Amino acid sequence: MMSPTVSRKKCFDCSALEDNKCLAEKTVKLSNYKPGQKGQIVQVCGDSDFRLRMLEMGFVKGTEIKVVKYAPLNDPMEFEIRGYHISLRKKQAAHILMREPEIAV
Amino acid sequence: MKQKITVALAGNPNAGKTTIFNALTGARQHVGNWPGVTVEKKEGTVTHSGRKIHVVDLPGTYSLTAYSLEEIIARNFIVDSAPDLVVNVVDAANLERNLYLSVQLLEMGCKLVIALNMIDVARGRGIGIDEAYLSSLLGVPVILTNGKKGIGLDSLLETIVFEVENNQSSDNFRRFTYGAEVEDELEKIQNLLRHVNYSLEGPAFRWLAVKLLEGDSEIVKKIDSGDDRKTIREQVEKSRSHLKNIFGDNPEIVLADARYGLISGAIKQTVQIERTDRVNLSESIDQFLTNRLLGPIILFAVLYAVYFFTFRGSESLVQYSESFFAWLGANVSETLPDGLLRSLVVNGVIAGVGGVLGFTPLIAFMFFAIAILEDTGYMARIAFMLDRVLRGFGLHGASMLALMVSGGIAGGCAVPGIMATRTMKEPKERLVTILVAPLMNCGAKLPVYALLIGAFFSGDRVSIMFLLTLISWAMALLAARVIRSTVLSGPSAPFVLELPPYRVPTLQGLLIHTWERTWMYVKKAGTVILAVSVLFWALMTFPGLPPEIQQSFQKKLEKLNSEFIKDVGASSVIQTPQALENFEKFTKEHKSDNAKDLTKALAAFSKSGYKSDNDSNQRYSLMENPEINTDVAGKFLVLRAKRLEVENKEQEERLRNSFAGRVGSFLELVFLPIGFDWRTNVALLGGFAAKEVVVSTLGTAYSLGSVNPEKSWNLSEKLRNEPGWNPLMAFTLIIFVMLYAPCFVTLVVIRRETGLWRWTIFAMVYTTLLAYAMAFLVKTTGSFLGIGLV
Repeated sequence: MMSPTVSRKKCFDCSALEDNKCLAEKTVKLSNYKPGQKGQIVQVCGDSDFRLRMLEMGFVKGTEIKVVKYAPLNDPMEFEIRGYHISLRKKQAAHILMREPEIAV
Repeated sequence: MKQKITVALAGNPNAGKTTIFNALTGARQHVGNWPGVTVEKKEGTVTHSGRKIHVVDLPGTYSLTAYSLEEIIARNFIVDSAPDLVVNVVDAANLERNLYLSVQLLEMGCKLVIALNMIDVARGRGIGIDEAYLSSLLGVPVILTNGKKGIGLDSLLETIVFEVENNQSSDNFRRFTYGAEVEDELEKIQNLLRHVNYSLEGPAFRWLAVKLLEGDSEIVKKIDSGDDRKTIREQVEKSRSHLKNIFGDNPEIVLADARYGLISGAIKQTVQIERTDRVNLSESIDQFLTNRLLGPIILFAVLYAVYFFTFRGSESLVQYSESFFAWLGANVSETLPDGLLRSLVVNGVIAGVGGVLGFTPLIAFMFFAIAILEDTGYMARIAFMLDRVLRGFGLHGASMLALMVSGGIAGGCAVPGIMATRTMKEPKERLVTILVAPLMNCGAKLPVYALLIGAFFSGDRVSIMFLLTLISWAMALLAARVIRSTVLSGPSAPFVLELPPYRVPTLQGLLIHTWERTWMYVKKAGTVILAVSVLFWALMTFPGLPPEIQQSFQKKLEKLNSEFIKDVGASSVIQTPQALENFEKFTKEHKSDNAKDLTKALAAFSKSGYKSDNDSNQRYSLMENPEINTDVAGKFLVLRAKRLEVENKEQEERLRNSFAGRVGSFLELVFLPIGFDWRTNVALLGGFAAKEVVVSTLGTAYSLGSVNPEKSWNLSEKLRNEPGWNPLMAFTLIIFVMLYAPCFVTLVVIRRETGLWRWTIFAMVYTTLLAYAMAFLVKTTGSFLGIGLV
């Protein structure tokens, strides 16, 4: 079968990762970032389609994302990445694992 | 040397591709659809140094995977139609993400020219690009352009012609390697493909191998249908799992990652970013426009403005076209003899064509407003702000606009509303929006409401109208929810929405956009609508009345005439049927409709040559007597009224006897539970042609002749006094009219926009079932509680 065997318990609920590639560092979900915070991508999780799509939009490991704002009803969120603005739903942003946020200048 | 060059324009959404396309081709463009789908295909031509260049505008995409319809279309065009060259429009202010597509194009082995667009915006943001170095890194020409100002277009054309004439090295794809492990596997797959005798060029083999390794569903399908597919599939599986072992991730992810690695490298060498303190204008604007408090207020103001502009702005043009067709109809009526041909031309053809063209200004205005929203970038903000609300119903933030235009504020129209969904990229959400848009209170339903509210609820017009608006929204959202969890179930498309910087649109761009989409409507919808309107005319006209009944009506009319002549013959020149006919012609010519005018007309008529053959001069003197004239005029008016009554009765009988009327009578059985009689049923059938026809058909069915939907008070009066009618019945009918089958213009547009009859029929059936169920609910609840029965 195509899909890798997944251990959801050991890792940070990231179905994209193999058992032996557990995330070492402490991560924060992008959906937990507050407006004005920024940080680097550790790993994009979720199904393969979503991950590929996000990669194509430039969500590569180590890339910096800044949260610009939440929509008036708190969802979706607006981000700045690689110099452009993009909006994702919180549910999707929760698949993107980030380093601890810092305050953007 | 081929005389004609074919060039494909590829690029990210919002990279300014359309602006470049418009600037290159100007008005020499043609819009159609890509075969089998409803994605717009734009083509145009431009001549440069004696070469005719055919430009095809590919859909804007971020990538060339099989992710969306647009991407598959763009990819297939490049592979199957093999354009001589691909111009990749790249947003200089957003270089990294844009280059991802460029790398994929190079991988496909395309002959490529990069149009580095909006360099001024990039410079404004402190981004400096060494385009010469970028060009040498990528191995393709890079031209600086500005579509809006027309900068760089000549050198772009120059380069296109030069590159096509002088064979560009097609080795560019070799510049990008994925590292030994991946390259080894690619080599294995390529060798196999070569073996299996695919007659392809070098780069195409490599691209095919890359796509197979990525597990691209479309390409895998293609291979699956070929011979020797088993060996290839096995090799691909082996390579994929091998790479998965090494990298711990799917190959498609590894490759995408690698591409961005390459791009990052190139960017580091060619781009310099100075930190500027300049405030980003677009972000400042968004502080207000998507502000937590102000944002939604501005949003609804904008939606209302679109609505207002579409319907009020086009009002006078719509009226002009309506009065033109009314004038045309009247003129043709006079020229053609009374009979079937006249009825066909006036009521079938002219009414049908007039109906289509009457919509046209409306649609043009709506598309203009939408073009502004799209080209400025505000459309994305609408989706951003409303997504949370509409997602719960299986819709998309952008559905709001379509629903508003369809009649979210009572008085819209589903035809432009459905066409407004063209801005939506998510297939399921778009389809649901199309399917529920006809449930909104469009302008054509309003006369029906006005008639029934006027007759039964005159006390609380406003609150009833408000209630109806709420009901239609509730029904549309509910229906969307149900459709999305049954027939169109499945997860919603991932919401990946770019919020492009605000831009000032160009007038040329707006006009081209508006013209293209409007013209498509006229062309495609027009023909079908004409045919259906003739069909409807036939249904309501044939088979006509049996001769003996027709004769009995004729006799009644003659009887009225002869009674009149007997009455006034002694004191006027109207002594024979011939004289009466002449007099009628005379009054028609002089447009004498009231007693005073008629009196005058009678005097003038008597003096003129219209005297009857056997008149005598002593009688002539009588004509001078004003009192007698007034008396005769009064009697003539009574005669007219009586004859109208008979004629209306005949029309009623004719309608009842028509095919539509027979269906209506038959439907009495079906509608028994909600209590609609044949008159209501035939009116509802008529409403299928256009909802306001319900009023005029009801008028005919209640022998009031054809009632003007704008002035239906006499019909209100009639209904109020009619047995069987009460407020509950009226409300039941209102609910039914609100929800039942969309008019056929809407259906034609649904067919066009979904591309499938299946959905068109579905839209017709589910709305009618919903209408029936809701009407039944209203009727039984009302009867049970005893509300509105008096």
